[in-house]
Amino acid sequence: MATQEAHPVTEHAPHKRRLKAPGKRNFSKPVRVLMLAALVLFSGFPLYWMLNTALSQDSELYGQAQGWWPHWERLADLGDVIGTVPIFKWLTNSMVIAGGTTLLSLIFAVLAGYALSRFKFYGKGAAGFLLFATQMLPEALLVVPIYALFASLGLLNGMGGLILANVAFTMPVSVWIIKGAIDAIPYEIEEAAAVDGCPRVTILSLVLTPLILPSIAAAAVINFFDGWNEFLLAKTFIAERDLWPASVGLASFIGQYLTSLNSVMAAALLFTLPALIFFLLVQRRIVSGLTAGSVKG
Amino acid sequence: MTLRTSISPPAVAPTQIQDAPSRHHMWQRISPYIYIGPAVIYLIIFMIIPVVQGIQLSFTKTPLVRPDGGTGVGLDNYTRLLSTPQFYNSLGATILYTAATVIFAVAIGAGAALLLNQAFKGRTIVRAIITLPWAVPTVATALIFSWIFNRSDGVLNEVVGVFGVGQQGWLVDPKYGMAAVVLTSVWKVMPLVMLVVLASLQSIPSELYEATRMDGAGALETFKAVTWPHIAPTVRVVTLLMTIWSIRRFEIIYLLTGGGPVDSTNTLVVNVYRQAFSNQELGRAAAIGALGLVLSLVVTVVYFMMERRNAAKEA
Repeated sequence: MATQEAHPVTEHAPHKRRLKAPGKRNFSKPVRVLMLAALVLFSGFPLYWMLNTALSQDSELYGQAQGWWPHWERLADLGDVIGTVPIFKWLTNSMVIAGGTTLLSLIFAVLAGYALSRFKFYGKGAAGFLLFATQMLPEALLVVPIYALFASLGLLNGMGGLILANVAFTMPVSVWIIKGAIDAIPYEIEEAAAVDGCPRVTILSLVLTPLILPSIAAAAVINFFDGWNEFLLAKTFIAERDLWPASVGLASFIGQYLTSLNSVMAAALLFTLPALIFFLLVQRRIVSGLTAGSVKG
Repeated sequence: MTLRTSISPPAVAPTQIQDAPSRHHMWQRISPYIYIGPAVIYLIIFMIIPVVQGIQLSFTKTPLVRPDGGTGVGLDNYTRLLSTPQFYNSLGATILYTAATVIFAVAIGAGAALLLNQAFKGRTIVRAIITLPWAVPTVATALIFSWIFNRSDGVLNEVVGVFGVGQQGWLVDPKYGMAAVVLTSVWKVMPLVMLVVLASLQSIPSELYEATRMDGAGALETFKAVTWPHIAPTVRVVTLLMTIWSIRRFEIIYLLTGGGPVDSTNTLVVNVYRQAFSNQELGRAAAIGALGLVLSLVVTVVYFMMERRNAAKEA
């Protein structure tokens, strides 16, 4: 992360130093510090509170007796605390669902992205529009007909059906990311391979795919976390508690305080941490990928 | 790659790849369809057909327990919807939620980007903290905030108590329900605005600043002359994205308030879900869904037209 951050700063650093400008400074210093502090508090506090709650004892949580500082010494007991919630079962399910969604989505995306980037064909505009417009369809509005469709196909109450439905929502973005990546690869590389008599499939899988690997990785992360976070379809399709992903499992605790809250928060922390870590690692690519996917028409 | 619509350069050239001489002409012509076919067919099955079925469903009375056993009722669902205040209330909640979330997320996000565009000690860590909420899964977000907003034991009441305000039911009082879900949503989506605007700010050439400084421009004038014109297209696009995403946002609202208190946060998407899975009326749910689709479609078309216009301007 640190190296990533350093990059743009060093890039502009010489100019900036020379500038020393009132021009770039839109706020006076105390105001700036105050505003930054407010932002950090706003963004950081809820996460801090989640950690604090997970490290509190159940009895401290009620009657506003929760301390302001986390009990770090309880970190060691966190395993036992989490044990009261079947979170590991649910996290495994989340992993299967997110992994399946990613794999299937990427296969479609690499093929379609290649076609959109490198071919001119009749109906290309229509295919592009389909891939663009379907991103705009709200999940919650489609959940009823998809539920009806899956009920008639017998695809409810299984992770396979859920993966199939998830892919429909994650694949369009991936296609745009992959298409953008292939667009950026000079065509001459493929030409050279083609002259050597390479068939197209080989060019795509052995020449192009390694070159766009960073973008594939970014698309994979986006897909994985879409699958990891997905709640609505999972809640609607899967009734059996043992098959729930962690999102549905954890949501079942909201507003019910039968299970001790510190266990629930500890489990939620476990569900959140992988997302935070991965996000910090690939943040930049995710942001450009997401916006590229939604903007390219 | 970020927010500019790029024109894919090699749209024509690739057809020159010859797998072999011209007897493969047919193969040449069908091969793009082999690559794009799976994705297109998939989306037709899982997106287009459900949309069509959803519209069909909206003209029927279909119970949840027998999704394929509906009876046709014509326009009944629609006329009933449009004649009850509940639907207009839901539409109003959607517009209010969307407007408030977008305005606050874009204003705070863009402000944060401007602040973070200046070098200061600890910038990396501040930036990371402000960015993190975006990566927090929605369900975890709802869990955290439902605890913070908790009526009897939540920390927010503890904080406002310091100022002499009594305990408030942030999630159960119709006065505060909408504000609570908007606050939570802004917390979650603001970082994306910040990151995108920051990327745009960092692409402003410093020469431009230098030039305005030579002209003796003050901070505000510089902002108006250099900064804003440069980031305006980005802000516009991110505003539209935020709008589309807010209209369709379901989880945060459903998990925090379930559409309540007293339907004050019953946005169209939440309404669809409740009609379908609580009231078990798939037909009426589909009708609300169809009307919601129209709203999304309007926004999408506006978005498309603006993009076209901008692309034309850039060219």
